[in-house]
Amino acid sequence: MLNKKKALSLTASLVLAGAVLAGCSSDKKAESAADGGGNSTSAPAAPSTEFTFYYTGSQNVDDLWKTLIPMFEAKNPDIKVNPVYVASGTAAQPTYDKIMAAKQAGKGSGGVDLYESSIDDVTKGKNDDLWDSLSDGQIPNLNNVDQKTMNDVSNLAVPYRSSAVVLAYNSDKVTAPPQTLDELYDWIHANPEKFAYNDPSTGGSGSSFVITSIYKFLPEEAIHNSDPSMESQWTQGFELLKDLGKYVYGKGIYPKKNQGTLDLLASGEVDMIPAWSDMVLDQIAKGQLPASTKMQQVTPGFNGGPTYLMVPKLSDKKDAVYKFLDFTLSPEAQAEVVNKMQGFPGIKLSNMPQDIQESFKGVSEGYRTFSLGDLGKDINQRWQSEVAAQ
Amino acid sequence: MSRQAKRGLLGISLVLPSFLILVFIVVLPIIGSLKESLTNDGGGYDLSNYKFLFTDKLMRSNIIFTLKVTVISSLLVLAVSYVLAVYMRFNNGFAVRWIRRMYMIPIFIPTVIATYGLMQLLGNHGWAARILYHLGQDSFPRMIYDMKGIIIANLWFNIPFTTMLLGSALSSVSDAVIESAKDVGAGRLRIFWRLILPLTYKTLLVAVTFVFMGVIGSFTAPYLVGPNAPQMLGVSMEQVFGVFQDRQLAAALAFFTFLLCSFIGYFYVLSMIKEEGMRRS
Repeated sequence: MLNKKKALSLTASLVLAGAVLAGCSSDKKAESAADGGGNSTSAPAAPSTEFTFYYTGSQNVDDLWKTLIPMFEAKNPDIKVNPVYVASGTAAQPTYDKIMAAKQAGKGSGGVDLYESSIDDVTKGKNDDLWDSLSDGQIPNLNNVDQKTMNDVSNLAVPYRSSAVVLAYNSDKVTAPPQTLDELYDWIHANPEKFAYNDPSTGGSGSSFVITSIYKFLPEEAIHNSDPSMESQWTQGFELLKDLGKYVYGKGIYPKKNQGTLDLLASGEVDMIPAWSDMVLDQIAKGQLPASTKMQQVTPGFNGGPTYLMVPKLSDKKDAVYKFLDFTLSPEAQAEVVNKMQGFPGIKLSNMPQDIQESFKGVSEGYRTFSLGDLGKDINQRWQSEVAAQ
Repeated sequence: MSRQAKRGLLGISLVLPSFLILVFIVVLPIIGSLKESLTNDGGGYDLSNYKFLFTDKLMRSNIIFTLKVTVISSLLVLAVSYVLAVYMRFNNGFAVRWIRRMYMIPIFIPTVIATYGLMQLLGNHGWAARILYHLGQDSFPRMIYDMKGIIIANLWFNIPFTTMLLGSALSSVSDAVIESAKDVGAGRLRIFWRLILPLTYKTLLVAVTFVFMGVIGSFTAPYLVGPNAPQMLGVSMEQVFGVFQDRQLAAALAFFTFLLCSFIGYFYVLSMIKEEGMRRS
């Protein structure tokens, strides 16, 4: 009897000790992981380098890198890429914060050696002095990239692919698609409930429609201004969006995510939506959208532009990362961008094979690059309270 | 050490692991989010986030909407499940056999897939609308992107488990009790109100707690089939935290949701204590 009891209390205390230890050990693990970044600086150069690559986006972005990374590793057996995919939306911000926090704590680059994100993070990082300045000395293929795009980001990031928001429409129902923004608003008024855009906080295509509508009333150069003083000039644009609310799908229903409006277009509930060109092309090719779906860019254009790769300044694996970037900008890798995700190549079209050059004639023109920094967050917030909840 | 003290120590050491897990996984995070929710923009502590919750038009309508959806869903789930469970308990035959086989199926279908299924079924051009159209009905009420859609989804997700819970309670009501009541001339309704309901009342309370808490914190279905505004608190919390990046306000929302849940939990615990007290005396 006593033995049994002893055994019981022993087990209980073991469980307890185990629980306490588990708590401690997880702390230690976290510490050593953080140390790992710092330690490797002093460690002698290993025969093979492994660097960590954080990227974010929809599933198609993940698929692209899962194709490109093995191609790169096959060519450079001494370099291993450790990909970290963070799902699009909320997850991108913590990665930026991680790099920033590691810098402030003096712990190198926080284990992030390469980071993929939008122009907003490039600008933010420029102000926080996070990104490494890149040159064609380290990355020869940088010469393939349009110099103007590189100047826009002060050589701090590599624009490796781009995409644009366009109008996607059902050509069986719409014979003369709008050519300008004003014609688009007229079309929406004339065809009630046949246009939909997604909740701007859940996807870039809806966000682009909202931002374009707001900045329609502002001077052209305002789209590169991230100063909060601009907010006072948004009122006219929000009035327009509020008014449109009565004419869009369901008299004010904004589906979630980019895919939400594409689903409505596919099922024939609406005839026109703003959408990412790469998603539309991809889904027509896969038969998820009817073959009658066509695309049209309006003037002034919706936003679009490159997605950037940035190298944290404090990364200690820069040489390996440069090699990887060089590969990413090679025509071979860029062909995958086009074939795999129907994106626009990040390098100048003249460097691409002839057939790809043909297929992009006229499509990659017309978009505008917006860089609003943190203002996008405020637009979403104001949209939620003024347009969604009107 | 006396025998009594030893037994006491053993008891404590057996409870301690689960108590510690509770402290680290539930209590500390709640205290943490309470502290976060009381932090204002300047870094000081005040009630500004809660004030915003109850004064902002949008937030207020979100709270009212959430409570409406939760109360309506809970009542409907309970009514349907109870009727189903009673029917299965006191009837036998072909229909009951099939219900018994089928009613658990929704438990095994992942939330996201079920929600997309509902969208296909109830959408404007969905199956339900098409079938009705062929039957000569050309208008279909809006279900998706509406409160009705969320409630239907909640019924789908909650009825199976609740029916199972109530079913097991009903099966413990012995036939002998009902037979004897019948013998002394009690009618069906009387048996139900005087015998069956009191005997299953406690399980009913457990079921309410589960459904209420499940619905009030739900995310996937309200996110996909709910309206843009007002939103349920789960969706709003995600938006405030992830998109607007207002951590303090999100914490206030979370803490408020927790308070709502503990309000329902209070009644549950109260009835448990009462029960325990009755057994003692």
